[in-house]
Amino acid sequence: MMKKITNLDAGDYHSLIQQFLARLLEKETVYAVLVAKRYPKGRNAAPVLVRDPEKLDGCAPLAPVQGFNAAHAIVELTREQPGMPAAKPRRIAALIRPCEIRATIELIKLKQVQPENVFLIGFDCPGVYNLKTYRDLPDDRAEPLALARASVEGDPEDLREACRLCTSFTGDSADLSLAWMGSDAITSEDGSTLLVDVRNDRGEELLRDADAEDVESPPEREAAVSKKHEEREQRFNEDAEELLTLLGPCVRCYNCREVCPICYCKDCLLKPEKMGYTPERHLNRAAKKGQLKMPLDTVLYHLTKMNHMATSCVACGVCEQACPMDIPLGRIYNRVGRHAQALFDYVAGRDREEQLPVTTFREDELADVQNVKKETS
Amino acid sequence: MAENETFEPKIIAFLCNWCTYAGADLAGTSRLQYPANIRIIRMMCSGSLDPTYVVKALLEGADGVLIGGCHPGDCHYLSGNYKARRRVAVLKSVLKDAGLDPQRVWLRWVSASEGGYFAETVREMVEHIRKLGPNPLQLEWAV
Repeated sequence: MMKKITNLDAGDYHSLIQQFLARLLEKETVYAVLVAKRYPKGRNAAPVLVRDPEKLDGCAPLAPVQGFNAAHAIVELTREQPGMPAAKPRRIAALIRPCEIRATIELIKLKQVQPENVFLIGFDCPGVYNLKTYRDLPDDRAEPLALARASVEGDPEDLREACRLCTSFTGDSADLSLAWMGSDAITSEDGSTLLVDVRNDRGEELLRDADAEDVESPPEREAAVSKKHEEREQRFNEDAEELLTLLGPCVRCYNCREVCPICYCKDCLLKPEKMGYTPERHLNRAAKKGQLKMPLDTVLYHLTKMNHMATSCVACGVCEQACPMDIPLGRIYNRVGRHAQALFDYVAGRDREEQLPVTTFREDELADVQNVKKETS
Repeated sequence: MAENETFEPKIIAFLCNWCTYAGADLAGTSRLQYPANIRIIRMMCSGSLDPTYVVKALLEGADGVLIGGCHPGDCHYLSGNYKARRRVAVLKSVLKDAGLDPQRVWLRWVSASEGGYFAETVREMVEHIRKLGPNPLQLEWAV
């Protein structure tokens, strides 16, 4: 259901968002908000937990950079403290990217996020640049709203590959989502209303004191969303690439595991010490194929990681920009994840009621996976 | 073809303690003959097999991997085999995307009373893998 937030002072899109978030804090709907701000020095923008509405100045959730997946921050903010007396619950609202919302939903299912006191607010996401690309952009293109404005005409060539392939760029699985696609809200310097898509009762609750009015869903938005969807779907390539060749340069730095929101295990199976290797085993292995590559097991690492998290991969692409060897992990995981999730008609982060595919089953399914003996007469 | 005829595949088998391993045991005590190409690892349940071990076997050059569990509905732990089936489905999908042949991984249900069926399974799988030929990763050191 679409609503619009009224009684905002005229300003650009980020200023309208700022006033809306300030209202949530002033009316005490939430205790704090998590939103990306541009740092005072340099051009980095990253999530900041804001309690004081005055400090929302400079918030820039659409700034085209994503250093890490904000789902990590939600884990940190809702961490259970076993053995501690329960603190009085304080609610927060997180205005984060759609892929970060999907990751949060997967982490709710994986019992890493306590969902009760977190409101998830999404927005129509224009994507981001790779960190290095962003660092070297000319100033005008690095402006917080520049990418969103330019993306109306189509995705720039140098957009991060995971974003160029992303087809879930609206905050559909959030409680509430800011909707600007198909309108001039993003280019206007003096808008005064904010269109929001209320996705569930929690979103409704968030708007309790926010001066929201019901409006019709604008058909222009639907058209813009489906156009972008189609554009990106066409870029997706079903064909298997030479994955083993692509993964060849891996130096097993584990960056992709560290930044992955889904890889939450504290004790990862893929630590070399977990494998129980001894010097003697290395020599035996070298004898088997005649030689043994160091670092060990780089392909085993990736294939295992894929097996463990492909059904929950939200294709956020932070692994891609974390890779020092520029392996196109965003593209690889996008494809592997899609194929694995399609087996179970599952989409990671789509719906918090859907069960994780590997924790459930149907008695009658996947007949082609079993090598049943062929009938002979 | 001549090469394939002399090729003896090496197959790693992960068998569940309650059904397929007992089935293999029965095949043995019944003195049923089956090819010696198989190396059995006993697990408590097919559902407790992490895909990493299957991948590791393939990357190190095993020609095939057999995963054996109880028939659907018969799992000693009620649903381990159903979960194994989902995991194997993901595994095969990942292997396919990685350009490895998912046909080298077999999932089969063999009960404790099916000694003959176990022997038949091994014969069938050895023939299948023999046709596929040696695992190309056997010589691939850069993995």
